[in-house]
Formats: sequence, structure tokens, C-alpha cells
Amino acid sequence: MNKLNTYLGYFLAFLMGIMLSSVCWQVFSRYILSSPSSFTDELARYLLIWIGLLGGAYASGQGMHLAIDLLPTKLEGKSQIRLNVLINILVILFVLGALVVGGLRLVYITYSLGQTSAAMQIPLAYVYIILPISGLLIITYKIRDILALNNPKSTQNKA
Amino acid sequence: MEVTEVLILITSFVVFLGIGVPIAWSIGLSGIVTLLVSIDSLPAFTTYAQRMATGLDSFTLLAIPFFVLAGQLINKGGLAQRLILLAKNMMGSLPGGLAHVNIVAAMLFGAIAGSAVAAATAIGSILGPRMEEEGYSKEFGAAVNITSSTTGLLIPPSNILIVYSLASGGVSIAALFIAGYLPGILTGFMLMVVAAIWAKKKGFPVGERTKFSELYKSFLDAIPALFLLVIVIGGIIAGIFTATEASAIAVIYTLGLGFFYKELKVKELPKIFLDSVSTTSIVLLLIATSIAMSWVMSFEEIPQTVSASLLALSDNPIVILLMINLILLGVGTFMDMTPAVLIFTPIFLPIVMEMGIDPIHFGIIMILNLSIGLCTPPVGSVLFIGVGVAGTTISKVIKPLLPLFIAMIVALMLITFFPQISLWLPSLFGF
Repeated sequence: MNKLNTYLGYFLAFLMGIMLSSVCWQVFSRYILSSPSSFTDELARYLLIWIGLLGGAYASGQGMHLAIDLLPTKLEGKSQIRLNVLINILVILFVLGALVVGGLRLVYITYSLGQTSAAMQIPLAYVYIILPISGLLIITYKIRDILALNNPKSTQNKA
Repeated sequence: MEVTEVLILITSFVVFLGIGVPIAWSIGLSGIVTLLVSIDSLPAFTTYAQRMATGLDSFTLLAIPFFVLAGQLINKGGLAQRLILLAKNMMGSLPGGLAHVNIVAAMLFGAIAGSAVAAATAIGSILGPRMEEEGYSKEFGAAVNITSSTTGLLIPPSNILIVYSLASGGVSIAALFIAGYLPGILTGFMLMVVAAIWAKKKGFPVGERTKFSELYKSFLDAIPALFLLVIVIGGIIAGIFTATEASAIAVIYTLGLGFFYKELKVKELPKIFLDSVSTTSIVLLLIATSIAMSWVMSFEEIPQTVSASLLALSDNPIVILLMINLILLGVGTFMDMTPAVLIFTPIFLPIVMEMGIDPIHFGIIMILNLSIGLCTPPVGSVLFIGVGVAGTTISKVIKPLLPLFIAMIVALMLITFFPQISLWLPSLFGF
């Protein structure tokens, strides 16, 4: 699980690097080469979707998403664990519905309609596939968190 | 009638948030619950997925990760220290010297970077210990640092003004950027007034006046950092490049300077990149779920319902603006700025525009208003960072924060009722 996190981190840093190069290339090609590049705009936008969702999954794995933790910290013992389990289950439900089920259906629809992007002509399904992938990652992390909650030796109890 | 949907949306959101579900997921959950009331589950899920993905599909939003990255590089690359030294030589000899240094440093930082959190981290960690050495209380130092770092949200470049431009359906980023200068400086000035009074009362030390030669030297030292302002803002206003392109150039420039100052190493870069990716993706996920929720609201015609009930209370622009300000102050305490802007702009902007209020002016009001919320519990990202950096607690920092809040509210009222403060500079540039 930790290994997965590290690799995911490197992959995200790599995507950021490409996104940065892509926008810089756009300026360079317009002013220095005077032949504006046609794909950079689109490539950077699609990378942003990937970074947003995959990065959201990464941040979820680190327990970095901002929450109001007044109630969870006020409760003690069993009820605190129960509340944290409930929070994780709610997150899983949303992610399962919107990202995994909704995302897969979106991928399926765009794929069967053969929709491609305007500039790069890549199937839009490739862009949207990150929705279910991130969703599954988040669910994996949240199940890990729930298991850790029920294991008293572990200290990890972040939602 | 859409009142049921409004109730479902608000109740479910408050419940999810209250029991401790992270904000991004609370927004997503309450949006989808509301949508499930009127349409079937499978289309609801698919629509939500699509709205989240297409919400991020925006060239404008790309500026956010780049400005965050540039902010990190400013911190790590030795630019922040040079700005702080300049601020110290400028302001150190006033009563409450270091407090003013903090405020001016925050404004300078805000003028070259786009995020308040980066400013609070950089300046708090450098100036905090020195303020304590000179006899300031830790809590006062933290309070000044927290409130002053929000001035950077108005002073361009500013990520949140970019988000507002998006939420408002295309108010010019260049116009918003120019409009932010005076309100940002005014807010900083108000904070300085309060800090000076507080410091006099408590007898905090006054630094020695710096020699002119030293001031001059620190200014020369800070020029490369300040030149970023010329590239980014100059480039955007002159129409040489878009805000997004400017943000990418800012990254390259700060990267180059960091290596030139020999403060950055190549092997640190993956870590810096990853840090900014994780900071950014927290914001991006909020943006994705907020945009989806905002779509649900317009699908359920919630903005019309809210607008009708607000306008039923009064049709006086001053009263309406006051009410909106009060609502936003409340919203800001428990909601992060980005989702608040994305969700409430589509609701309030049509109302105020109908009353003849300029969308640029309203954007500035909204950002300054929500800036106050960033410094208040229970949810205040800048408050958390500022308290963390200073090594104190939220409950201790509240007391010195109160007078500074009053300063911010006075600034907010001035900016709300004198549109010229926001609109005069843009008008000079033909906006």
C-alpha cells in the first residue's frame, strides 16, 4: 500500500512536469516559432483532469482532504470508531456511485459513440477512464482506513 | 416548487459536514442526494461523473497548479527571504515594527504568488521566531501572519480571482487582477493600523531605523523576485499571454532564479512537484464536486428560488449587498473559499447585476469577505497553517485575531460601498 502511494506520487509529479512543458511549449511555439501548436491546449486540459482526480485519490490516501473534525474528536472509544467508519462508508458510497458506476458508464457511452477529441483525435473514453480508476483507488484506501480503525494497534483513523 | 430541493441540499450538506465527512465529499454527496430526488440513479451518477470531469476541463484552471508550484519555488528558492528582508528594511522602524514587516512581506509575496497558504507558511516560519525573540507574543505574531497573508488573495496574481472569473461565466481575469490591487493594499493598511495600536498598547519594541544604503541593497537584491510581477501581471495586461501561460512562465522563472541563487537542487524537484500536486489536487477535487453541485442547483432552479426570496425581502441594493455579505461571512466560517465561490457566485451574481453592480466589484467583495472566513474556525485553511507554523493553538490565537477581524470588516464595508476602490484602476486600463 505504501509502495502504491510512492509510485502514484512519482506518476503525479511526472504528469505535472508534462503539463508544465506543454503550456510552455504553447508560448514558445507561438512567439519563437510563430506557428502556434494545436495540441498543447487540449493535452494540458486533459492532464489537469487526470491530476485533479488521481491527485484527489492520492490526497485521500494521505487523509489530506479538509474536514470539520469537531464531532469525531469529541467522541471517544467505540462511538468515535463507529463515526469514522460511517464517514468512510459515506465516502465510498459517493465514489462508487459517481466515480466508478457513473464514470464507467460515461467511458462506455463515449467509447461506443466513438467520440474523439478535437485536436489530438484521441478517444474521449481514454480521458474519462481516470474517473473509475481514481474511484477504485479511493475505495481501496477507504477500506484500508476502515480495517485500520477496527484494528486497535493501528493509529491511523483519518477519514 | 423547488423549496424541497433547497431544503434537501442544505440539510444533507450540513449533516455530512457536521459529522466530519471531508468538505469535497460532503459537497458531492449532498449534490447527488438532491439530484436523486428528481432523476433516476444511473443517469444521475453518469451526469455527476461527467460534470466533475468537464468541470476540470478548463485551460483557465491550469493556472492554479502552476501558481501553487511557483509559490513553492519562491519559498524554497530563496526569493521569499529576499522579499522579507526588503519589507523589514522598509517597515522595521515603525511602532510594532515586525508586525508591519509581516504585513508588507505578505503583500509583496501576494504580488508575486497566487496563494495565501504559501504566504502564511513562508512568512510565518521565517518571521515568527524573530517576532518572539523581540518580545512579541507568539499568538499576536500568528494572528498578524494569518490575516495579512489573505491580502495576497486580492493582490494579483490570485488563484481565487481566476476561480471567480470561471464561476462568473467569464469576467476578464486581467480586469479582476488590476481591480484587486487597491482593495488588497487597503486591507493591508487597515491591518497595519490595528497592529500599530495594539503594539503601542502592549509596548512591543520598535526596531532601529535601517540605513538607506542597506534599504537600497535589499531592494536591489529583491529586484529579480519583484521582476516576476512585471512578467506575470505586465504580460497578462498587455495581452502577451493568458493567465495560464503567465503562470507557467512564472514557474520557469522562479525555477531559474532558485538554481541561480543555488538554493534549489535538481533532486529536490520531484518532492516539490509532488507537494504542489497534492496541494492542488485537494483544490481541484473541491472544484470538481462544487461545479457538479452548482450544476445540480441550476438544474433544480435553486438560484431563482434564492433570488426570489432575497428580492422579496428588499429591493434596495445596499440592503441586498449587506445581506449577501452577512450570508457569505456565515458561509465562510465553515466552507473553504474555492467551493464557496463556485457555488455562490451563480446564485448571487445575477441578483447584484440586476441591481447594476459591476461583476468585477462584486468579485472583489466576495473574495475579501470569504478571506475573513479563511481565518476563522471551524474551517479556515489559513488559520490552520498559521497556527501550525507558529506552534500555538486556535483557541489562544482568537483573542489577538478579533481586532484584526474588525479591521478586515471595516475594509470590506469600505470596498462594498465605494465601488471606485475596485473599479478605478481597471477603468484606467479601459475595462
